[in-house]
Amino acid sequence: MRVLAVLLMLCGPALAEEPLLPAFAEETTTAGIDHRYMGDWQYMVGGGVAVFDCDADGFEDVFLAGGAGPSQLYRNVSEQGQALRFEPVDGMALDSVTGAYPLDADNDGLMDLAVLRVGENRLLRGLGACRFQDASAEWGFDGGDAWSTAFAATWEKGADWPTIAIGNYIDRAQEDFPWGSCTDNWLHRAEGRRFAAPLPLTPSFCALSMLFTDWNRYGRPSLRVSNDREYYEGGQEQLWHLEAGTPPRLYTESEGWARLRIWGMGIASQDVTGDGFPDYFLTSMADNKLQTLAAQPATPDAKPAFADVAFARGVTAHRPYTGGETRPSTAWHAQFDDVNNDGRADLFVAKGNVDAMPDFASDDPNNLLLQRADGTFLEAGDVAGVASMKSARGAALADFNRDGLLDLIVVNRREPVQIWRNVTTGAGHAVALWLRQGGSNRDAIGAFVEVKTDAGVQSREITIGGGHAGGQLGWRHFGLGAAATAEVRVIWPDGLAGEWQSVAADGFYLMDRDKPPQAVAPN
Amino acid sequence: MRGRGGISRRGVLGMAAGLAALPLTRAAASSNSATPEDVIGRWYKLVLQLVRHTATYSPPVASRAFAYLGIAAYEALAPSGGMRTLAGQVNGLTAVPARAAGQDYSDAVLLHAVMTASTQNFFGNTGPSGQGAMAAMAQKLGARAADGVAADVVARSTELGQAIAAHIFAWSQGDGGAVVENMGFPLEYTLTEGAAHWVPTSLVRQQQMPLLPNWGNNRPFAMADGGVCGLEPPLEYSEDPASEFYAQAMEVYTTSKTLTDEQKLIARFWSDDPMLSPTPPGHWISIAMQILARDHADAPRCAEVLALLGIAVADGFIGCWHEKFRHDLLRPVTYIRRVIDKTWNPLLITPPFPEYPSGHSTQSGAAAAVLTHLFGEGFAFDDATHENEGLPVRSFPDFWAAAEEAAVSRLYGGIHFRAANERGLAQGRCIGEQAIALKTRG
Repeated sequence: MRVLAVLLMLCGPALAEEPLLPAFAEETTTAGIDHRYMGDWQYMVGGGVAVFDCDADGFEDVFLAGGAGPSQLYRNVSEQGQALRFEPVDGMALDSVTGAYPLDADNDGLMDLAVLRVGENRLLRGLGACRFQDASAEWGFDGGDAWSTAFAATWEKGADWPTIAIGNYIDRAQEDFPWGSCTDNWLHRAEGRRFAAPLPLTPSFCALSMLFTDWNRYGRPSLRVSNDREYYEGGQEQLWHLEAGTPPRLYTESEGWARLRIWGMGIASQDVTGDGFPDYFLTSMADNKLQTLAAQPATPDAKPAFADVAFARGVTAHRPYTGGETRPSTAWHAQFDDVNNDGRADLFVAKGNVDAMPDFASDDPNNLLLQRADGTFLEAGDVAGVASMKSARGAALADFNRDGLLDLIVVNRREPVQIWRNVTTGAGHAVALWLRQGGSNRDAIGAFVEVKTDAGVQSREITIGGGHAGGQLGWRHFGLGAAATAEVRVIWPDGLAGEWQSVAADGFYLMDRDKPPQAVAPN
Repeated sequence: MRGRGGISRRGVLGMAAGLAALPLTRAAASSNSATPEDVIGRWYKLVLQLVRHTATYSPPVASRAFAYLGIAAYEALAPSGGMRTLAGQVNGLTAVPARAAGQDYSDAVLLHAVMTASTQNFFGNTGPSGQGAMAAMAQKLGARAADGVAADVVARSTELGQAIAAHIFAWSQGDGGAVVENMGFPLEYTLTEGAAHWVPTSLVRQQQMPLLPNWGNNRPFAMADGGVCGLEPPLEYSEDPASEFYAQAMEVYTTSKTLTDEQKLIARFWSDDPMLSPTPPGHWISIAMQILARDHADAPRCAEVLALLGIAVADGFIGCWHEKFRHDLLRPVTYIRRVIDKTWNPLLITPPFPEYPSGHSTQSGAAAAVLTHLFGEGFAFDDATHENEGLPVRSFPDFWAAAEEAAVSRLYGGIHFRAANERGLAQGRCIGEQAIALKTRG
C-alpha cells in the first residue's frame, strides 16, 4: 500500500470578499473553428472534445466529435497571449463519432486518440504533426458495434499497455422501446503490448461517464461509472474493484457503497475539500451531486461511502440562474479548474436540453461556479460571459494561448462549437505542469500532483476519462494566487513520491521523473 | 405474503374472453392483426414506461393520467361492450362523441386512435425516446389494428377515436392538475410554523418545497371533493418519551434497526420511486394488467377495470393530498434526528411532502377496494411488476393483503409512522367506495 501523507489544505484566514470575477471574450467567429455536433436520437448524448497537443508545439489542439456529421481535428495556431486561432487538419473526418480521449497507448511519446462511435470504436496511433493512423487491429483492440458514450484508461500495476474501459449506452436497435436495453460496457485489458479480448462489465447500466480513480489513495485505481437511469432497470451508480490479474468486481453495499440512481452524464474529479482525496461532481438532470468521502478525516482505509455536499457548497446547479427559465437544468460535461488563478478549483458545467424535453429548461445556461475561500461556490457564468443558451454537451477548459489563463471550448448539439478566450484582468499567478516518465504510461496516468504555496496544498489526480465524451491530456493548470513561486512534487503511479521542487509562477514546466522541472517556452 | 397460494380465478372473469367485440367488416385479416386486447395491452405497457420516464410524473400526476386514459378507453368501448357510459357519473364528464347509427366500426382501430391521441395528450412532455416510442407504436400497432379492415371503417373509427380522445382531454383541462411546472415543486412556499409540521428532508435543492401542495384541491372523479374522506388529526405531537407520538417514532426507529431481509425486500418492492418505477398507482395498474392478461380478459373488461382503478387511485391521491396539507405533519426522519438519534437514516428516501397520511397506503386502499369489487374476495394473484429490476415475484391471497403490505412497507422503509399507514388504508377504502358506486354494467 502506498504510504500516504495526507496534506490538508491550509487555508489562510477566511476572506470576506467574493472571488475575482473572470471575464471571457467569445471568439467563436474569429477563431477558425466551424463545427457542429449533429444527428438525432443516436446523438442525443455524446458530443465530446479531446484536447491534446498533436504537433508537439506546446499549444493544445482539439478534436471534435461530429455525430451524424464528420468529426474534425483543429490545430491550435494561436500565439502566446493573443487571440485564439485554429486551423482544420485534413484526414480526421470520421463519421458517427460521439467522443474522443487522448492517450499515449503505445508509449512512444506521441499522443494517440481513442475515438468513441456509434458503431466500431477506433484507436488512432499518433504519428506526429497531427497525423494519425488506425491501429485498432494491430493493437488487438476490438471496437465492437455499440453506441459508445464513455471512456477511461489506466495502466494497471506492472502492465506495459493501458487498460481501457468503454461505456456503452442503449441497444440502438431498440429505438421503438429502448428502456431496459443497456448494452455491456467493455474492459480492454493488456495482453503484452496489445489488448486482450474485451471483458464485459456486467451488469452495465447505460454509462455516460467512466473514470479510473484512486478514490481512497490506496495506490490502485477503481473504475467509477456514472449511469443514466433513464434507460436502465435495476441499475445504479457503480464502482468496480480493479485488481491486476483478477476479474473486475463491483463494490457492494456491505463494503459501504451506497445505492445512488441519477441521470448520470458526466464525472468531474478534483480535491475540492482539501483533504488530499479526490471529490466527484456528478452531472445529472435537475440537481447535480458533489461527493466527498463520508468518513472524515479520510484515510486509505475509508469505505467507499460518499456524502453529497452539493447543496451545502452551492453547486447543485439545478436550474437556470439567468434567462428567466424556471424549469430544471440538464447538465453534461463538467470540469474543475481554476479560472481566476486564486488557487481554488472552480467548476464549469455544460448545460443543454436533451432534445425538446418540455419538462426541462430549453434556455439552459452553462455554469461557471467560482470557489470561495470557505469552500462554497458563486455562480458567475453570466457575468463572465459564458452563459450560452445553446444546447451544450462536451467542453474543455484549457489554456489555448498559453497566457496563464484557462480558455473555454464548448461543443453544442446542432449549433456551432463556441470558444472563449479568458481575458480576466487582475487574475493571480499560475503554473502549468506536464508529467512525463519513461517506459510505459509516459503521461503518468494515476499520479498525484501536489502544489504548495503559503495558501496551502492543492492536490490533483492525473486521470484520463470522465467528463462527458471527451477529455484532455497534457498541461495541468494550477492557480497560485499571489504567490510568485510554488513548491511542486509528484507522487508517481508506482507510489514513489518525488522531491518537493520549486518553480516560478507563470511558467510551463515539464515534470520529467527524476529530473528537475524544466521550463518550456512556446515553440 | 411471499410464496403463498396459487392463482385463483373468480367467476366475474368468466365472461371475459367470450365477449370480445370483433372488428366488423373484416376481410382477409392476417395473423398479424391486432385485437382490441392487443391494442389496450400494448399501449398500457408503453404508458407504464412513459410514467417512469417523464419527469413530471410524480405519483399524483401519474394517477391522474391513469384515470383519464382508462376513462377514454372505457368510453370508446362502452357501446360495443354493453357498458354504461360514465358521462354524468364522474364529475364534469359530458357525453362523448357517439358512433353513428347503422355504421360499422372497428373496436381495435377505434381504441388505437383513442390511445394514440390520449397518450400523446397526456405524455406530450416526455423525452425523445418516449416520443419515438409513441410514434412507433402509433404507426406499427395502427397498421396491425387496421389489417383486414375496410378502409372506410378504418377512417370512420379513427375519426371517432380521435374525437373521443379530444373530448376527454378537453374535460381534463379544467380539473386543476393539467399544468405541472418545475416537476411539481412550487417556486415559493411558506412552511407552517411549529415543531409538528413538515420541513424539507432532502439535500436536493428542488425538493426544499413540498410536492404539489394544491393537488388536494383538484376536481376528483367519483367523489365530490378532496375532503369527502377526510381523516381525524394525526397523533398529537409530543417529544415526551411517555407520549404516543414518541412511541410511534420509536417504533420506526427500532424497526429500522432490526429489519429482516424480508422486510427490506417488502420496503423496496413497494418503494415505487418516481422516475425509477411506474410509481405507486402504476404498480396497481401493473397488477391489474397482469391479471387481465393472465385471464385473457376481453377489451371492454380491460377498459372497465382500468377506468375504475384509475379513478380510484387518482381520487386516492387527491384525497390523500387534501389531508396531507391540512394536517402538515413532519416526517419520521425529522423527528427521530431531533429527538432520538441525530445520525439516523431511513432505508428509503423520504418523499418531499408532509407525512400524514401515507399516499401509498391511501391509494393502495382505494385500489384494493375497487379490485376486490371487480374480481371478488379472496382473489389470489402474483405480482411481477419489478421482476426486470431484479426484485422477485410476490404472491398475495387477495388485494387487501397486497394493500396492507404496501402500507406497512412505509414503516419498514422508515418514511411513515404507523398511524399514517393504517389511517391511509382506511381513507383509501372510503375513497374506493366512491369509485365502486359508479355504474358500469346493467
